[in-house]
Amino acid sequence: MSSRNMTRAAFFVLTALADQPRHGYGILREVEELSDGEVQLRVGTLYGVLDRLTDDGLIVLDREEVQQGRLRRYYRLTDEGVAALDAEAERMAAGAGAAKRRIAEGRRATAPADTAPRPPTAPGLAGGFA
Amino acid sequence: MTTLLESRYRAVLRLLPAYYRREREEEMVETYLWDVDRDTQDQSRPTLGEVASIAALAVRSRLGAPGAPSRYVLLGSAVRLFALFAVLIQAAAAVVDLVLEVTWAVSHGGAGRHLLLSQFTDQGLLTAVVTAAQWILPLLWTAAYFALLHDRRRLARASALLAALPNLWPLLGPLAGALVAPHPAFATAFGLLAWLPALALCAAYHRDAPPARLPAGSPGLVFMTCCVVTGASVVVLPAAADLAWAPASCFVVGALGWLLWQARRSDAVTPGGALALAALGLLILAVRVAALYPWLHVPGAALYVGGGLVQTAALALVTVVLAVVGRRDLTTAEPGLS
Repeated sequence: MSSRNMTRAAFFVLTALADQPRHGYGILREVEELSDGEVQLRVGTLYGVLDRLTDDGLIVLDREEVQQGRLRRYYRLTDEGVAALDAEAERMAAGAGAAKRRIAEGRRATAPADTAPRPPTAPGLAGGFA
Repeated sequence: MTTLLESRYRAVLRLLPAYYRREREEEMVETYLWDVDRDTQDQSRPTLGEVASIAALAVRSRLGAPGAPSRYVLLGSAVRLFALFAVLIQAAAAVVDLVLEVTWAVSHGGAGRHLLLSQFTDQGLLTAVVTAAQWILPLLWTAAYFALLHDRRRLARASALLAALPNLWPLLGPLAGALVAPHPAFATAFGLLAWLPALALCAAYHRDAPPARLPAGSPGLVFMTCCVVTGASVVVLPAAADLAWAPASCFVVGALGWLLWQARRSDAVTPGGALALAALGLLILAVRVAALYPWLHVPGAALYVGGGLVQTAALALVTVVLAVVGRRDLTTAEPGLS
């Protein structure tokens, strides 16, 4: 998966796995927390993303545990996954930086002349120091 | 002991193909039930959103998702080619229909132009709007075709869905008070001719699907060839030309060409191509028969009926051959099916 076509869901899943291996439910909660609740993955969507990331070699199965008769699988990032996440984060940061710069330039260009910042002036003589 | 909620989740997961459930079911159930209090599990149900996400995964995992068995890879390829070929035929038919109608009107002077314009002006606002939509929207099949082959999937999906809208009119028109109500079988088949490909396009060209590719030729050349074949079929036998005639002619010629090409070039076999064409042939055959049936005993329609019957026979023959080849491909992909 190239950085250009990484979905938001895939980006957050990779981010959720960046610090430690996690299982399905752990990824869901971590994605919700990382995105301040904006991204709430459904289970069907999560496993579609996990399939794709596994197929692309960005994540692998770390280990399996059986709890109360049910299977829990933990996933972790591969080196390619770390590189892809890093590249995507760089790309997003560059985009955000460019947007910030343009906004600042736009504000300066449209600011009225009388509110434009002026150079500091020296203390007036009229008041005197006497 | 299994709770009611777990049973309900497992019932929803049965939408997924068996290979996927074998791999993922226990893990997904664990993810669903992780933080649900066991005491409340009998009062809960899977949400509509959860069911929808599993349904979407079920479609995707059957149409060649990563890691799918060869049978599903073949099915996914067949559905994608079905959508591509159907969109191509619809695109050619829409362009040719418009060009021929305008050409006829212009070449017949004032009377021809009046007849053309009267479709928009003589039968009220609703009919004018529907007629305008029936003229303009089908041209979006062409946009869908080229967008698909340039891997602009969203544009292709939106264009196909909009282009398919006019095919609903024969079904909805009688409800809206249209004067001429077509035979229900034809209205249904005509609707399916547009909507099955449009929905197949939306489902099969999902995010993980490979990009659309024609088995041979460039997109422009193939489109132009289809337009020429479609137009020629109408010009050569205008008395037989109805809504099914042009797409059916184009399909028969294209499918025969494809069969010959595949027979000569055994190294260039297109996985799922025969299945895709067989399914499309069956769909067009249904439209052909539904359009012809009400006219079978109408006096004075011998030429139309004769042309339609010959075309029906050709369609049926080609479709059977394609189905046999498709069955062979399926058996090769999954030996257990034989």
